[in-house]
Amino acid sequence: MAPINQPGLQPVAIVGGLRLPFCRSNTAYSQLSNKKMLATVLSAIVDRYALKGERLGEVNAGAVISHSRDWNLAREATLSSGLDPRTPAITMQQACGTSLQATMVAAAKIASGQMDAAIAAGSDTVSDVPIAFGDKFAGRLVALGKAKTLGQKLSVFKGFGPGELAPKPPSINEPRTLMSMGQHCEQMAKTWQISREAQDELALASHLNAAKAWQDGFFDDLVVPCEGVVRDNNIRADSSMESLAGLRAAYDKTGSGTLTAGNSTPLTDGASGVLLCSESWARERGLPVQAWLTHSMTSAVDFVNGAGLLMAPTLAVSDMLKRANLSLQDFDLYEIHEAFAAQVLCTLAAWEDAEYCQQELDCSGPLGSIDRAKMNVRGSSLAVGHPFAATGARLVGTAAKLLDERGTGRCLLSVCTAGGMGLSAVLER
Amino acid sequence: MNDSTMTPVAATTALNAPGPYEHWQVRLDAESILWVDCDRAGKSTNALGEAVIAELDRILEWAEASPLKGLVIGSAKQASFILGADINEFDAYTSADAVAEKIREGHRVFSRLENLDCPTAAAVHGYCLGGGLELALCCDWILAMNVDVTRFGFPEVKLGIFPGLGGTTRITERLGGAAGLELALTARTLRAPVARKLGIVDELVDEFGSLQWSARRAVLRRRRTRGPTRTASLTNTAVARRALGRVMTNKTAAKANPAHYPAPFEMIDLWVEHRDNRRRMFEGEAARVGRLMVSDTARNLRRLFFLTERMKGLGGSNTLPVRRVHVVGAGVMGGDIAAWCVLQGLEVTLQDRELKYIEPALKRAKSLFKKRLKKKQAVASAMNRLLPDLEAKGVARADVVIEAIVENAEAKRELYSTLEPLMKPEAVLATNTSALPLEELARDLADPARLIGLHFFNPVAKMPLVEVVHTSATSQERIDRGCAFATAINRFPLPVKSSPGFLVNRVLAPYLMEAVTLMLEGVEKDLIDAAAIRWGMPMGPVELADTVGLDVCRHVAETLVTGDVEAQAALLDKHIAAGELGKKSGKGFYTWNKGRAERKPVDADSPYGDQLAERLLKPFLAECRAASADRIVADDDLLDAGIVFGTGFAPFRGGPMHYLAGHTPSGN
Repeated sequence: MAPINQPGLQPVAIVGGLRLPFCRSNTAYSQLSNKKMLATVLSAIVDRYALKGERLGEVNAGAVISHSRDWNLAREATLSSGLDPRTPAITMQQACGTSLQATMVAAAKIASGQMDAAIAAGSDTVSDVPIAFGDKFAGRLVALGKAKTLGQKLSVFKGFGPGELAPKPPSINEPRTLMSMGQHCEQMAKTWQISREAQDELALASHLNAAKAWQDGFFDDLVVPCEGVVRDNNIRADSSMESLAGLRAAYDKTGSGTLTAGNSTPLTDGASGVLLCSESWARERGLPVQAWLTHSMTSAVDFVNGAGLLMAPTLAVSDMLKRANLSLQDFDLYEIHEAFAAQVLCTLAAWEDAEYCQQELDCSGPLGSIDRAKMNVRGSSLAVGHPFAATGARLVGTAAKLLDERGTGRCLLSVCTAGGMGLSAVLER
Repeated sequence: MNDSTMTPVAATTALNAPGPYEHWQVRLDAESILWVDCDRAGKSTNALGEAVIAELDRILEWAEASPLKGLVIGSAKQASFILGADINEFDAYTSADAVAEKIREGHRVFSRLENLDCPTAAAVHGYCLGGGLELALCCDWILAMNVDVTRFGFPEVKLGIFPGLGGTTRITERLGGAAGLELALTARTLRAPVARKLGIVDELVDEFGSLQWSARRAVLRRRRTRGPTRTASLTNTAVARRALGRVMTNKTAAKANPAHYPAPFEMIDLWVEHRDNRRRMFEGEAARVGRLMVSDTARNLRRLFFLTERMKGLGGSNTLPVRRVHVVGAGVMGGDIAAWCVLQGLEVTLQDRELKYIEPALKRAKSLFKKRLKKKQAVASAMNRLLPDLEAKGVARADVVIEAIVENAEAKRELYSTLEPLMKPEAVLATNTSALPLEELARDLADPARLIGLHFFNPVAKMPLVEVVHTSATSQERIDRGCAFATAINRFPLPVKSSPGFLVNRVLAPYLMEAVTLMLEGVEKDLIDAAAIRWGMPMGPVELADTVGLDVCRHVAETLVTGDVEAQAALLDKHIAAGELGKKSGKGFYTWNKGRAERKPVDADSPYGDQLAERLLKPFLAECRAASADRIVADDDLLDAGIVFGTGFAPFRGGPMHYLAGHTPSGN
C-alpha cells in the first residue's frame, strides 16, 4: 500500500474503471443521449462490483456538450443506475477535465472522511447537440410568455426577420479568442517547433498501442458493450506513417500547418466512470484495490495574454510534483491525454526547456524528459477517441489497471482543457 | 401544499387497503389510488392462473365498494408485466365445457375491471402477452415503459387457441377488425413504440421517466383511450367483415392448413359472425376456445412449448459468458454461423485462407443484418463485430471455436493441432461436421474428449435447432457448455451421441430416398410434395432434396441409407452429371426461379394422397424408432423436439414418437 501525503487523511482506493466503447460522432451512438450513456456506464459499474441497492456517498459526473434540460444529469442517471436512490449526485463540469476533476473532488471527500465511496464519471456526445435559437428570437419567446393581451403578443414580433430563426449550435471555439482549439494548438506547435513527422509518429504509436491492447485483451474488463458496439471504432490497427503523411493540414491551410485529422482527436461519443472508496469500504465488500490516488492538482495559464492554450498541464504537473516532493522521472507510467499530438509534444518540450521551467513554472531548472516507452503504453485519445467529459475517468481506469497488472509502481496522469486549464494526478500501487 | 392535502386521504375516509393476497400486492395511497401489482407467489414472472384471477376478483369487489380516485394494474416483478394465462393449468382440463366455464368466469372478473366507476390504468414494463394484454385492455388507459423488454402481443395461435379472455372482442373493438385480428393471427410481439402507433398503448413513458407517476397523472386526469379511428371502426361493419374475413381466411390458409390448425380460422369466423354483438363475441370466445383448448392440436403444441422450455434449460447452471466466437471456414455454413452469432450480439473472428474466400460470407452477413436490424447504424455496428481473420488472431481470445471447413478428416485434424495450443483452456472446441465421427476427428488432440459437435442446419438463420454432438468420453460439463452456447445464440440445443447422421440427417435420409423411389415408380414430384405438405410437413421431400443439394443427397444415400439404393443413386447421378444440383444451381428435380421452386398446383386431397404420405413417412418414422432404440438422444421427448425443430415435422402432431405412441389427432 502506498502512503498518502497528509497525515490524518484516509487513503483513497481506485477499485476500477469502466467505459463504453468510444465511437466517432454520428456513428453508432448517434441516437443516444448523455443521460442514456451515463446511466449505461453507471449500471455497468453497479453490475461489475455488485453495488445494486448500495448507497454511495455521491456520484460526481458531467458532460461538456449538454442540453439545458439535462441540468440534473448526474442525479437522473444515478436514479437509473441500480444504486440506492438515496445516493446523491452532483452534475459538474470542467471541460475535458470533467471526470478527472470529478474523481479528485470525490477523492478529497473520501480522504477527509466525509464519505466512503463514490463514482466519478463523464459522458459526451457530439451527435446529440443542443441547438438553440439566437438571442434575439429567444428574447422574443420569453417576452411572448409574459404577454397577456393579443396586442402585447403581436407587438412581441415587431421587426421580426426570418434570419432570427437560424439555429445556433453550440460552439467549441474559445469564447475569448474566437479560435478553435486546433488553431490554438497549431500556434503552440509553431512556438515549440514541433514537426509534422514527430506528431504523426506519436499518433501512430497511439493507434498501434491501442490496437495491440485490444488484441491482448487489455480492454476486455475496462469496456462494456453498448448498442451492439464491442470495441472503439476509431482505432486503426493498419495505420502507418505513410497513410498519416497523406492527410492534409486541418487548421492552418496556408501550407505551413502541421495538425491533421490523423494527429488530432476526432469528435467522439462515449462515457466512462471510476469507482473509488476508502480502504475499509473496499475490504468490507471484498472489492479489489487496483491503485491508490495519492496526489492531484488543477492549474490554469493566462492563454489570453500569451500562454499556450493547452500548456496548463505543464504547470499542474510541476506544482503537484513540488508538493509531492517527486521528480518527473519518478514514475513507471505516464498517462497523458492526447488532445493533439502537438499538444503532448509541446508539453514534453516545455518540461525539457530550462527557460520555460524557470519563468513559467517557477523551477530552478528543467523538469527534464520522460521515457517515452512508459507513456500511453495502451494508446490514448488520438486512437481511442476523446468524448470530452469521459476522458479523465478513462485515464484513471487505464492507469489503475496498468498498476494492478504491474503489482507496484507509480503513474502520472495529466489532462489539458479548454480555457487554458490543466489537471494532473498520481496513482500508486 | 397546505395541511389538508398533506393529510393522507385514507386516514380521513377510513379506507383500508384490502389484503394481504398471495399473488397481488395491493396498496392504497394517500390520494385514494389503489395500486394493484401482480406478484405471482413463488415465481419470477407473472401468469394468470385460476388462483390469481380469483384474488383479482376479490380485489375488484373491494374496489367497487370503495370511493377510489383511480386503480392502476401493474407488476411487482422486475421488468416483466404478465406473460399470459398459466399454460401449466391448461393440460388439466379434460372437457371443452369445463374450459368454457373457466373462461366465462374470467370474463366476469375482467368485465368487473372494465366497468369500475373510477379511472383505471395498466402500467406496463416488460412482457405483456396473451392474458396479460387481455387484462390491460380492460383498463381506461395503457401506459408502457419505452424500453426493449416491453412487448405486446397475442401468441395464443402458436398454442392452438386464440385470445379467449375477452381479447378477441376487445382488440377488434380497439384497433378495428383488420389490425386487431392481424395482431393475433401473426402472433407478433410489438415493442412499445409500435404498439403505441397501432393504438394498443395510449402513452409511452421514457426510460428516464416513472411509470408510477405517469400512471398517477393518467388516472387523476381521468384519461380514457381514444378508441379506434373511423377507418378502423369501418372494418367492423357487417359488409367489411364479410369481405375482410374472406381475405384473411385465404391469407391464413396459405400459411396453415385449417384441418391441422383450426384456431386462427375459428377466430376470424367468430369476428365475422358476431362482431356486432358483444355478448355473443364473449360467448363465442368461451365456447370456441374451450373446444380448441382440449383438442389434440393444442395439446401437442403445448407439449412442444414445454419441450422448448426444457431445451433452453439444457445448459444447466453453466454461466460461462460467451463474448467472442472464432469460426474457421467461411463457406456457406461457416459464414452463416458466424453471421448468426454476430446478429446475436457476439464478436466473431472468421478465418479462411484468403480474404476472397471470406468476402462472400461478409456480403451474405450484411444482407442478413439489413433484413433483421434495419437501422443503418445497427448494421454498421454488426459488421464491425464480424472480423475477417486470416492469421487466426482471434483463437487465443475466443470463448468458442467452431470449425466448418471441408468434410475431410485429415484436414480437420491438422487444423485442430494448430488451434488447440492457442485456445484458452476453458474455451469450447466444436466442429460443424455433419458426417464424420467425432472420435476420428479428435484422435490427435492433446485432450481428445475436448471436441464436441455443434451441428447447425442450412439455412442457419431459419433453422432453430443445433445438434450438440458428443461421445461417451465427453464430460457433462462440456455438453452443458455447448448447450448453453446454443441457447445464448437463440437456438435450441439437442444433445446427440456421435453416430452416423446424428439424429436429423439420419431420419431425413430414408425419407428423401423414399421420395426418389416414388419418382422412379413414376409418381409426379409435385404430387409427392403436395401429399407430404398435406400430411403436415413444412416442405415436400423433393423440394427439400433440391434445397439440400442433390450432390449432398447422393453422399447421404451412400453413407446413411442401408439397403439397395442403386437405382436412386443412378437418378441422382444423372442430375448431378447434368449440373443440376438443386436450388444452388437453379435446377434440380425442380426448376428454381429467384430462390423458389416452380411447383405445379396439384391436389393431394384424396385417399391416394393419404397413401403417398403414409409411404413417405413410413421409413421416416421407422428411423425415428431405430434412433430411439439406439438411445442417441436422452429420451423420446427430446427426440420429438429435435425432429420437429430440425425437420419441421408436423408440429400439431407433437413429434414422431408421440405420434407413433398413438396420440394421433382426431379426424386424420
